[in-house]
Amino acid sequence: MTDETKKKINAKYERELLHGERFWPDSLFKDAIVALGIFIFLVLLATFVGVHDSPKADPSDTSYVPRPEWYFLFLFKFLALYGQIPVFGKIEWVATVLIPGIAIGLLTLLPFIDKSPQRYYAKRAMPIAIMTIMVLGMVLLTMTADVPTVAADGSGLLGNLQTVAGLIVPSLAYIAFVGMAYTLKENAVRAIAWTTALAAALMIGFTAATLALYQPAAVAVIEIPTTLADQIVAGQDLYSVHCVECHGDDGKVEEITGVEGLEGKKISIISSKDVLYTVNDASMAEIIAYGRPDSGMNPFGKAYNPEGLTRSEIDYVVTFMRYTWDDRFEAPYIAPLYPPLAEGEVPSYSVHIEPIVKRYCISCHRPGKDNNNYLMTSYEELLTTGDNASHNLISNDPTSYLLQVIQQIPITDPASGEELIGVMPPNKALKPEIVEVFVRWVQAGMPK
Amino acid sequence: MSGSNHISRRDFIKVTTGAIGGFIAGVLGIPSIAYMISPALREDKAGKPMPIGKLEDIPIGTPHPFSFTITKVNGWERTAASYGGFILRKSEDPNDILVLSSRCTHLSCRVNWNETAGAFLCPCHDAKFSKEGEVLDGPPPEPLGHFTHEVDAEGYITIIPVEQKAG
Amino acid sequence: MRSTLWQKLFSWLDERLGLNDAYKNLLDRPEPKGNWWNTLGSASLFLFILQAVTGIFLTVYYTPSPDHAYDSIQYIMTEVQFGWLVRGIHHWSASLMVIVVFIHMLRVFFTASYKYPRELTWLIGIGLLLLTVGMGFTGYLLPWHQMAYWATTVGTQIAGSVPFAGEFILKSLRGGPDLSALTLQRFFAAHIWILPALLVALIGVHLYLIIRHGESHFPDKED
Repeated sequence: MTDETKKKINAKYERELLHGERFWPDSLFKDAIVALGIFIFLVLLATFVGVHDSPKADPSDTSYVPRPEWYFLFLFKFLALYGQIPVFGKIEWVATVLIPGIAIGLLTLLPFIDKSPQRYYAKRAMPIAIMTIMVLGMVLLTMTADVPTVAADGSGLLGNLQTVAGLIVPSLAYIAFVGMAYTLKENAVRAIAWTTALAAALMIGFTAATLALYQPAAVAVIEIPTTLADQIVAGQDLYSVHCVECHGDDGKVEEITGVEGLEGKKISIISSKDVLYTVNDASMAEIIAYGRPDSGMNPFGKAYNPEGLTRSEIDYVVTFMRYTWDDRFEAPYIAPLYPPLAEGEVPSYSVHIEPIVKRYCISCHRPGKDNNNYLMTSYEELLTTGDNASHNLISNDPTSYLLQVIQQIPITDPASGEELIGVMPPNKALKPEIVEVFVRWVQAGMPK
Repeated sequence: MSGSNHISRRDFIKVTTGAIGGFIAGVLGIPSIAYMISPALREDKAGKPMPIGKLEDIPIGTPHPFSFTITKVNGWERTAASYGGFILRKSEDPNDILVLSSRCTHLSCRVNWNETAGAFLCPCHDAKFSKEGEVLDGPPPEPLGHFTHEVDAEGYITIIPVEQKAG
Repeated sequence: MRSTLWQKLFSWLDERLGLNDAYKNLLDRPEPKGNWWNTLGSASLFLFILQAVTGIFLTVYYTPSPDHAYDSIQYIMTEVQFGWLVRGIHHWSASLMVIVVFIHMLRVFFTASYKYPRELTWLIGIGLLLLTVGMGFTGYLLPWHQMAYWATTVGTQIAGSVPFAGEFILKSLRGGPDLSALTLQRFFAAHIWILPALLVALIGVHLYLIIRHGESHFPDKED
C-alpha cells in the first residue's frame, strides 16, 4: 500500500467524521439500549427456561451419547460427514486439525491476504461470497447435527443428502469462485453473486430435504430431582425397585427370603445405627455400585450392569437412606405416597394403587424375577398377568388372591393343601391403611 | 437551552444511558448481595436431643466430661462434628444437675477441668472458671454456657445440643 | 465564581487524574455516523463483564472437584438465594457471547473494516474470538454432569488426533490419559484465571486500538 493510498483513506475518514456523531452520548446510548435488551433477554431465559442439567458425570456409564456444546455442533457434524468419504475419510487429522487450522489461519491473516484498499461490497465479491457460503454451511451443519449420517437400516440417502449440502456444493462453489476470479477478472462480480445464490439455494434445499425426510426419535427427557425432598423421593423409588426385594422396605431384613440364589442369606440390617453411623455416604455409594459379593450384596453400578444405577441414582438412594433412617438427619417435608382417602372415597389405579405398587411390589413383580409370572408394572399387567391371573383380582370379591395375601392369608391349593402363594410382601406386612386402599379399590371394581 | 424547561435530546439520552446502566447494576447487584449472604440468613436448626450418659455413672461433686457428635448439613456436605462439656451433679437429687459447655466465653478455646486448681482452666488466655461456670479470673466476659437437659425415668441424661447463655 | 466543596474536590482530582482530558479523549470522541451493527462490539464487552461478574459470584460456592462439583452446583441452583439467576445468566450469556462475538466478526468482515489502518485490531479480535470459544469449552466441563463429561472426552480426543504430537497434547489438556480430577482442576484454572487474564489483556489492546483509529465508517462507492 503506497503512502498516497493511506493518505487518501485517512482523508476520507476525516470527511466521514465531519458529519458523524459523538461517542458519548450518541454511540453509548445505542450501546446501552442493546445491553439492556440483552440483559432482559438473559434474565428472562434464566427465569423461564433455566438451566437443564444432565445427571452427574459417571465415567462407568458408557451408554451415554456425547454431544458437544451447540456452537461446536457444526464441527461435530463436519467430522461425521468427512468420515464417510472413502479413503481420505480415514485420515482423521485432515478434518480435525488441518482444515479447521487452515480456516482459522486464513481468517487470522485476512488483512495480510486481502491487501487491496477497496472496501465497497461490490468490489469485494470473492471474499464476501466465500464467507457467505462458509457461514451458511456452518448454520446448516448445525441444523442437521441430530440427523444420523448412516441410517440404522443402512440406507445412505440421508447421509448422501447431507454430504451434498455440507461438503460437495460448497466445495464446487469455492472452485467456481476461484475459476471466475481468474478468468473473468473485472466482470466476475455478477457471476460470483449468481453462483453464491445458486450454491446457497442448493445447500438450503438439500438440507431442507434432509430434515423433511428425517424422523427424529422421541427423546426421553430426564427429569433431574433438584430439591432434597425430590432426591429423597427419587431415592426411595429406586430403593423400592432395586433393594426392597432383599432388604425390605424398611431395611430391617436380616435373612433374605424368596429371592432366587440368595435364599436364606444372612445380611446386615442396613437401617441400623451400626451401618449408618459407621459408613459414610461415599462408602455407602461404593457398596451399592460395586457390591459386597462375599456378603451376598450384588453390584448395582453401571460398571457391572448396563441396566444398573448411575452415579446420580446411587447418590439419591444414599440420600434416601440417610434422611429416612439416620436419626441424626432431619428430613424435609415429603409429600405422602398417595393422597389420603376420605370417608367413602373410591381409590383409583393412577392416583393411589400405582404409587403403592411401585414402592412395595414392583421390586419382585417385574420381568426377570421369580414371581409366578405376575407383573405389576402397568394397569393391564396388574389385571391380566400371572399364573393365577383369573384369581388375582376379581371385581368386588374379597377372596381375590391379592387381597388375601396382603392380609397375611397364604393361598393354599384346595386339592393338595400345598401353599400356592405365600403372604405378600414376603418380608413385612403392609400397613393397614394401605391394605384398606386395596380392599376399597377391589370393592369398587378396580377403577383405573 | 439553559433556562428552558425542556430538556434537550442530548441531555435526554445522557440521562437514559445512565439510567440503563443503573438499572442493570441494580438488578444484578441487589440479588448478588442476597446470593452472597444467603448462608448467613439460614436459621440454625435446634437439633435433636442427644443422650450423653447415665446418671449413676456420674460422680457427685466433680465435673465429669462428656462429648457428643452431631451431624450438620453444610451446603453440599454432611459433616459430623464433636462437641464436649462437663456434667456436674451437685447433689444426690437427680434434678440437681448442671450441664456446662467446655467452650470458653472469651474466644472459644476449650476449657479443661483442673482438679488441683479446683477450677476450669482455659489454655489460651489463662481464664479461670469455677466448678459451676462462674468467671474467677481472666478475660472472659461471662460464665460458661450450659445445655438444657432432661433426665428420663431410667436415669439417662439427654441434652438439646444448642448452647444456652448462663443466667 | 463560587466554588462548592464538590467543585474543589473535582478540580483537585482532575489535577492529579486528568479527568477532563480523559473525558475528551475517551468519551467525547467524534465518530462516523454509525448504526445498530456498531453496537456488537460493546455488546460483546457487556457480555464479558456480565460473565466476569456472575462467574466471580459462582466461585463463591462452586467446588472444582469431581466429588463436589455437581452437588455444589445443585446447591447453588436450589438452596442459595438467586443462585438460579446468577447461574442462569452465566449459562445463557455464555452461548449468547459466542453468537455476538461471531456476528461482530462477520460485521467487520463484510464492511471490510479490517483493512488499513485496523489490521492489528482484527488480529486481536480473532484472538478474542478464539479465547471466547475456549472459555466456552473449558466452562462446559465444570458442572461435571454426563453431558459435560462425555462432550469433553470427545472434544479433547479431537485435539489428540494431531499427527505425532497428538498424544502429548491430549495428555496436557487432560492432565493425564483420562478425564479426571486433574482435568477438572486445570479446566477450572484455565476458565477462571488463564483465559480471562488473556481476554482482559487483549480486550485492553483492542479498545486502545479502537480509540486510536476511531470506529470505521460504513463503506460507500468511493471506498
